[in-house]
Amino acid sequence: MEELLRVENLKTYFFDKKKTIKAVDGVDFAIKRGETVALVGESGCGKSMTSLSIMRLVPAPYGKIVEGEIHLEGKNLVRYTENEMCKIRGNDISMIFQEPMTSLNPVLTIGEQITEVITYHKRLPRKKAVQQAIELLKLVGIPRAESIISDYPHRLSGGMRQRVMIAMAMSCDPKLLIADEPTTALDVTIQAQILDLMKDLSKKVNTSILLITHDLGVVSELAERVIVMYAGQIVEQASVDDLFEEPLHPYTQGLVESVPDIDAEIGRLNPIKGNVPTPDQMPEGCRFAPRCTHAFDRCFKEEPQLLQKKYGTRTVRCFLYEDEEKGAEHARKDQYSHR
Amino acid sequence: MLSYIIRRIIMAIPLLIGISILSFGIIHLAPGDPTALMMDPNIKPEDMEAYKEKYGLNDPPHIQYLKWVGNMIQGDFGQSLIRQGTDVSFLITERLPNTLFLMLVSTFLALIISIPFGILSARKPYTLTDYSVTFTSFLGLATPNFWFGLVLIMFLSVQLGWFPTGGIATLNEPFSLWDRIHHLILPALVLATADMAALTRYTRTSMLEVLKQDYIRTARAKGFKERKVVYKHGLRNGLIPVITIFGLLLPSFFAGTVIVEKIFNWPGIGLLFIDAAFQRDYPVIMAITVIAAVLTVIGNLIADILYAVFDPRIEY
Ligand SMILES: Nc1ncnc2c1ncn2[C@@H]1O[C@H](COP(=O)(O)OP(=O)(O)O)[C@@H](O)[C@H]1O
Ligand code: SF4
Ligand SMILES: [Mg+2]
Repeated sequence: MEELLRVENLKTYFFDKKKTIKAVDGVDFAIKRGETVALVGESGCGKSMTSLSIMRLVPAPYGKIVEGEIHLEGKNLVRYTENEMCKIRGNDISMIFQEPMTSLNPVLTIGEQITEVITYHKRLPRKKAVQQAIELLKLVGIPRAESIISDYPHRLSGGMRQRVMIAMAMSCDPKLLIADEPTTALDVTIQAQILDLMKDLSKKVNTSILLITHDLGVVSELAERVIVMYAGQIVEQASVDDLFEEPLHPYTQGLVESVPDIDAEIGRLNPIKGNVPTPDQMPEGCRFAPRCTHAFDRCFKEEPQLLQKKYGTRTVRCFLYEDEEKGAEHARKDQYSHR
Repeated sequence: MLSYIIRRIIMAIPLLIGISILSFGIIHLAPGDPTALMMDPNIKPEDMEAYKEKYGLNDPPHIQYLKWVGNMIQGDFGQSLIRQGTDVSFLITERLPNTLFLMLVSTFLALIISIPFGILSARKPYTLTDYSVTFTSFLGLATPNFWFGLVLIMFLSVQLGWFPTGGIATLNEPFSLWDRIHHLILPALVLATADMAALTRYTRTSMLEVLKQDYIRTARAKGFKERKVVYKHGLRNGLIPVITIFGLLLPSFFAGTVIVEKIFNWPGIGLLFIDAAFQRDYPVIMAITVIAAVLTVIGNLIADILYAVFDPRIEY
């Protein structure tokens, strides 16, 4: 598969009064055309800021991309002017958000909010755009699309609104769809429907998806590859199967274990103990060390690098895997000892 | 929508009755009566009695009130006690258009100046631009209307001679549009500044809040330029609270009109009101009070309707 997006050494900081908050601190990853990649991690680890950086929508003036490159089909978006970015957003890259209840404009009709994107990017005449908006609404499974189009958002449920958001986001056949916790605010039954819908639509036009979530359950439904973030950095990348079968990073192991296991007789939830470090109190050495059950002396002094080669397609940021054989052994043994 | 408007009008009736009773009562409690002011001090007591009898001043207050309301409903506000033989309704129809004209122009001025500045402030919060707008608004808020009016007259009219010192048109000259505008500029400006400061502040606060909303982020994610984001997606939401505030500001606007008309000698009902108040010309005072109340109620009604038009979430 051909590469669509490549993020290199992305650093997005907030400059808040006198302190600097390193929301995203050196992130590298790539997404292939048509691929669905999940970005997971606890709240506050920098997932949203990573995605807003790709959109170049980091809240100004305090937030700023200070370093790094974001290549879409080989072109570096970080160098794009605001006007150039306007042609990318909603067109090549579109985004849906966590809060369907507040993400639609309350004073504009559903139809207007969809057609305005189509007329803006595709330069279609209004009549055609309205027709297309109706088609899109039908496609995302909204009943009575012809009449809903002149309704205002407050008449729709959360699930319906998220469908409208998806219709809007897919209206210009984007190359990349960023979905920032698209189902977090919805009921469980509706979550699955929305995920299915995203999967179907993206297959149709070969759209890549960057799915942001803190819920590993959602990941296994939709994604092919997983990126795990912790405190502004990537700590592990793997295919979904590898990750669930053999999570390498102690943090990922904790995440996988905290997923309620449907197959197990007793569903259990083991959240990782401790809290995400606040950006102004970033521990020295490995950022996960204070919460890590495997931590040893070196972890508190030195920062581990992302290790890649020896695991082929996988990468992990942990000293345990520097000496591949010993490290892998260690982690595996440990994982089984938890069971 | 129509039934909503009708319902609102019906709801306003008790309010108007209350206002009329209250104003009637307050004026009658005030010391002094018109006879004391207008009559020749050497008038014979019989003549005085006859006069009082003729104008119903000897009736008990509730009878006076009922008579007055009854006539008023038929469009008859009685006759002025001071300008004998003149119908109050004549005085008012002669003056009201001047006042409404002044108010409309200055409302328009206030809105087209304060809303853009409020937006500008909200788009660049905590910058020099924002601070300058804020400082100027507070200055405007703290400056008394009458003082500002007098200062303008002193410098621009008396010393520089750029504007007339008062009136609605040059006397004894044929109608000319420019002459009218020339006379209008200063009073309209002074009246506008009173509410401009408040409106700018409210627009700023409201827009600042709106620009933080999720749907604004959605609009940005669609690729719209900042201008379209602010004006198409932000402004309509941002103006909803401003409309309400505008309705609430109307009464103070009337008060402002009275002062401005006095200072600029503008022949409106405000000026008529002041003269009538000093002379205890009851019928005129009460007619104007009632008209001001009706206009305020109408203004609020318009604000409510606009509110419903702007915000589709309002069920009516
Ligand atoms: N507007 C902001 N001002 C200052 N810091 C912010 C702001 N938004 C986010 N951050 C910081 O960036 C970090 C990452 O936030 P975010 O990307 O939203 O996390 P996530 O989406 O993973 O929950 C947070 O820990 C927070 O401290
Ligand atoms: S480097 Fe050390 S502290 Fe960090 S995750 Fe690995 S074992 Fe734990
Ligand atoms: Mg987030």
